[in-house]
Formats: sequence, structure tokens, C-alpha cells
Amino acid sequence: MRRRNYIKIIFRPVAIFMALIGFILLGGIAAAQDGKALFEAKKCGECHKIAGPAPKTIAEAMARKGPDLFYAGSKFKGDWLIKWLQKPDRLRPAGLLFLNHVKSGPGGDEVDEGSLKPHPALSADEAKAVGSYLMSLKDQGLKSGLLSDAKLNRVKAKLLFEKQGACHSCHQVKVRDQVVGGKSCPELYDVGERLSPDWIYSFIKNPQYWDPKIWMPNMNFKDEDVDQLTKYIISFGK
Amino acid sequence: MGINLKIILGLIALAIFTFPRGGILFAETVEDNYKLYCTQCHGVKGDGKGVNVKDMSVQPKNHTSAADMSKLKDDEMFQAIKNGGAAVSKSTLMPPWGSVLKDDEITALVKYLHKLCNC
Repeated sequence: MRRRNYIKIIFRPVAIFMALIGFILLGGIAAAQDGKALFEAKKCGECHKIAGPAPKTIAEAMARKGPDLFYAGSKFKGDWLIKWLQKPDRLRPAGLLFLNHVKSGPGGDEVDEGSLKPHPALSADEAKAVGSYLMSLKDQGLKSGLLSDAKLNRVKAKLLFEKQGACHSCHQVKVRDQVVGGKSCPELYDVGERLSPDWIYSFIKNPQYWDPKIWMPNMNFKDEDVDQLTKYIISFGK
Repeated sequence: MGINLKIILGLIALAIFTFPRGGILFAETVEDNYKLYCTQCHGVKGDGKGVNVKDMSVQPKNHTSAADMSKLKDDEMFQAIKNGGAAVSKSTLMPPWGSVLKDDEITALVKYLHKLCNC
């Protein structure tokens, strides 16, 4: 009798815990499946690729309408993605590829704002479903835990960012609440909320691994410098 | 015949294993390479007034200026494109493209710069 009670005491919480885990897992899978159906119904695939490879020629890169999403789960932070899908503000001042959205003006090249179309917004439920689905699309080659335990050395990282990398030449950053920097690439001032640290590290290390025809150079940074740069970029906007 | 076939198969294997992710990257025209990598700073017309330059501390070279461009030697231009401005004691705002562009593509770009400046 006593033994049975023991079994009950041990078994019940374990069973409840397992059921809960199963419920959460199944819930996640169901949300991802709903999200896939929604992604298809809303024709997101007309602009975004959910299967690789990335464009291998400049012509293909120029024809691409929206960012590739077949590694969205490795790149983005899920919470940010779900939030953004409901209120999709522009991350790339000159569109996906500046070449398709730049015109010559009197003072030089400028963004042809009229050529930039807003991204459709989703409802909270839709964003959750589509976001869960997109977060299930991962790149198997991306290792996790790429960042070291070393602390951010702001002075060194600032030098790497501004001097050696001159990253703000192409990416916008905020200086005393003012947006400054280049427009041909995504803004970096809220990148810490937006992107996975491992992905940022991997992208700085070898941008062409993710996108062979991306217009960002491989700066050949040492691993420890990529580590510092990643931590520095993540610290923006905090 | 047998040797030829081996050479061809060897070349195919080399091509497949050399390129990233097992895909073959096709050769690009010099115009397309210039457009994708250079015009974001040097401008779609090559006049140094690209979409990124507004906040730059050092303005990019005007590739259409014969006066400016004729001061540069071919080797200097090649080094600047391949290893960045710092390699030729110029601004670090010019990044190194040697990991993205092959040497023959850079040589083609140097030739193209002569065409742009007409010098």
C-alpha cells in the first residue's frame, strides 16, 4: 500500500510534467504548421524564399524582392520577429538592394522613396503563427555559443567598428539620438533586439557564407575582433 | 582521349569542391561587379557621390575625374581594391574586397576605372 503511494507521489508530477512538455511542443508544432499555411495563403513566397540556395549571380541578387527566409530561425530573435510582423518598419533605408532604389540627384545618389513599398502588417495571431513557422527554418551549419566569455572592451570595439571596419559607412547607427551612416545596408541601432548573436558573429566572419552576392566585404577580422564587434553591435540601443 | 576525360572530370570535381556550399559561382561582368560592390559609395555614375557618402569623413574617389584618377598607378588601384585603402596609405573607409573578388576580376575593375575616367 505504502509502496503504491510512493509510486503515485513520484509518478504523478512526472506524468503531469511530461504532458505539459508534450502540450507545449505540440502547440509549437501546430503554430508552425498554421504559420506555414498562412505564409502560403498570404503569398509571402512571392518575395521571400523559404528554401535555399541564396542567389549565386548578381542578376539573381538584383531580382530578389525580399530577404531570404530559409535561415530565419538562425538569424532572427523570435520575439522581435513577431513584433515586427505586426508593425513592419523599414530596416534597410535603401530597400533590399540599393541598386534597385537609388536615383541620381543634384547632390549625388539618393534613395528613390517612391520605389520602396511598405511590408504588409499581420495581426497579432497571424504574426505569432508566421513567426513560429519562420523560426523553425534553421541553417544546420550555424554553430551556437560562438561568443566568448570575454567582456566587451568598448574602446577597442569602437575602434574596430569605426576605424578598421568603418561599418557605419554602409550601416546607420545612432549618435546622440541622431541617425547617421550609410544607407546601402540594414540599420544597426536595434540589431541587438533583432538578430541572434551567433548569427551576427557568423555574418561578420563570412558574409558570403550566408549570401554569396551580398555587397558587404569580408574584412578578415580575427576571431577575437569579431567577438568584440558582435558584442559592441548588440549593445546599441540599450 | 582517356587522359582528356580524366582532366575534364578532375576540373569538374575541382570546380564543385572549390566553390562555397557546393554551388558553382558564375563569372560576373566587370560592369556588374562595379555596380554591386563599388557604386554604394562611388556612385551609380562613378562620380564619388554614392548613397552612403553623406556622413563620411573622407569622400570616396571620383572615378570620372581624369585629374584625380591619373595620379594613381594600376598597382596602387589593384592593391586598394584587393586589400583596402589602408594597404596603400589611404582611408580605411575603402574596405578590402580580396575575399570577394578574384584577382582577375580586380584587374578587370582597374581597366574599367581607366574607361570611367577616360584616362
